[in-house]
Amino acid sequence: MYACIHAPDAGVLAESFSPWVEMIDERTAVFSITPRQMAAVSRIPRAAVAATIEAAVLAARNFPGFTFLPPGDEARILGVLPVDALPPDPEIFQTLDLWGIHSLADLARLPENGIAERLGARGLWFQKLARGAVDRPLKPRIPESAYEESVELDYPLELREPLLFLIARFLNDLCARLDAQSLAAGALRLVLNRTERILRLPFPTRDVKFLLRLVEHDLEAHPLDQPVERVTLTILPVEPRRVQHGLFIPAAPEPEKLELTLGKIRGLVGVENVLHPRLQNTHRPGWGPAESRLAFRYFRPPLAARVETEAGIPKKLWTRVCRGEIVKIAGPWRTSGDWWRPDAWNRDEWDLALTDGALYRIYRDAEWFLEGAYD
Amino acid sequence: MVSPILLGWRHAPAPEALSTGIIDCPRGRITEIVGPRSSGRTSLLHSILAAATGRGEFTVLVDTNGAFDPCSAAAAGVELTKLIWIRCGGNVEHALRAADMVIHSGGFGVVAVDLAEATEAALGRIPSTAWFRFRRAVETTPTVLAVLAARPLTKSCSALLVEMKRRRVRFIGKLLRGAEYELVPRKPTGKDQIALYRAAV
Repeated sequence: MYACIHAPDAGVLAESFSPWVEMIDERTAVFSITPRQMAAVSRIPRAAVAATIEAAVLAARNFPGFTFLPPGDEARILGVLPVDALPPDPEIFQTLDLWGIHSLADLARLPENGIAERLGARGLWFQKLARGAVDRPLKPRIPESAYEESVELDYPLELREPLLFLIARFLNDLCARLDAQSLAAGALRLVLNRTERILRLPFPTRDVKFLLRLVEHDLEAHPLDQPVERVTLTILPVEPRRVQHGLFIPAAPEPEKLELTLGKIRGLVGVENVLHPRLQNTHRPGWGPAESRLAFRYFRPPLAARVETEAGIPKKLWTRVCRGEIVKIAGPWRTSGDWWRPDAWNRDEWDLALTDGALYRIYRDAEWFLEGAYD
Repeated sequence: MVSPILLGWRHAPAPEALSTGIIDCPRGRITEIVGPRSSGRTSLLHSILAAATGRGEFTVLVDTNGAFDPCSAAAAGVELTKLIWIRCGGNVEHALRAADMVIHSGGFGVVAVDLAEATEAALGRIPSTAWFRFRRAVETTPTVLAVLAARPLTKSCSALLVEMKRRRVRFIGKLLRGAEYELVPRKPTGKDQIALYRAAV
């Protein structure tokens, strides 16, 4: 059985009966009770006891004094309430008013199929509420707790291994606490002395080994610059990951394995060199949507070029990677943009073919540059 | 007396292939695309990546010199959200190590290693055993390992070797309108038909 208290200090009153209290709003609290507690609850000025949570809430909010709804009798007792007692939904209330439905008893008597056709799932839920038949588990509020461990060391740690040993102990404790609350880590915040490192996880997890490997890769990529005297590890708790697998979904890398692999590669080539390419809403060369399907390859950074021109048109090209006479050329195409930014661009571009048949794009800013090749 | 009876030869089944519409890249094998600059090798690589990402597979491009152009790749149909781009700053050794890690991580439809702009000296330092390791690593996976280079590098380790050649560049008036490429399959032998394909602006 569930009891609902509707009073200004509902939360405090409810906690005197049970540690697991669900707060519906600031003035309404629901909790589970035993038959022996019934007498104590009945002395509360505005409370209700029912077999389902929603029936207890409806009764406590709308009936004065104490109300007991015996199992199976909810529809009859709640039936006297007006339709307005339900959670507000102006559209459905207007429709019910047009139909001449004014009480919960009227609503409970309507055929389910007709309600489903005309009012949809929300209408059906309202009818179940009117019958006191919505059954759901209690969602007790969980006191917020900080998932943080900290230690000040007597002797500074200079090597990575003892530090990882310490962090592993923190992770074990914190992940056990997360597990107890059905939560997972969304991000790690590691403070070594006063240096803060934030590790954002691509998916929520409480796998200690995986988290420790991530910390290890981060420490490899960004080594300690001084002995560690104080360590603080904080975990940002989030809802755990829920994944549905399918037979016909193409194989994808395992997230844990992929993140560890990318962590290793980031340590090898640099964090900024492992990325998901994405187009931006700009006409800046190399960033915006392409107007050509011809594949292009960039020289990054652009190569300095020497160009011989006749009447302003390039005729010969010399660069570090190619040289020769220009046999065909298209341009110049003037492009410019982002004049309000320090990295504004303003240049003339040419597409050209050399005698060997290779296709390049050159541009003139202050100097000549070879930007890349069509391939 | 028991006499041996020949029951037949066991043949390994042909590997499943990733069809791009231009070539069929065998899964679990090395596909090598070679050719000079502007010969259409990058266009062909984009078509392989587009075919894989179009099927919902995840892909990796190990880009030795950072030459990849996301814009033209997206225009060719590559779904960029399913592509991881690893830039190696011209370091061939890093590129090979990154590719090795990605292959062992598993789960990718295509792992492409772009060595097209690597210097000859750096390519010469790649031990031939590296390609045998790659062949061994991918053979039990559904991954297409695509290697892009200016000249053949993988020797006997590749199952498919495609040589790209320039054919024609189309300028109309003062506009670059497109290019035509020639695709010559060099391996497996026996496939000597030459395909032409055209990329338009």
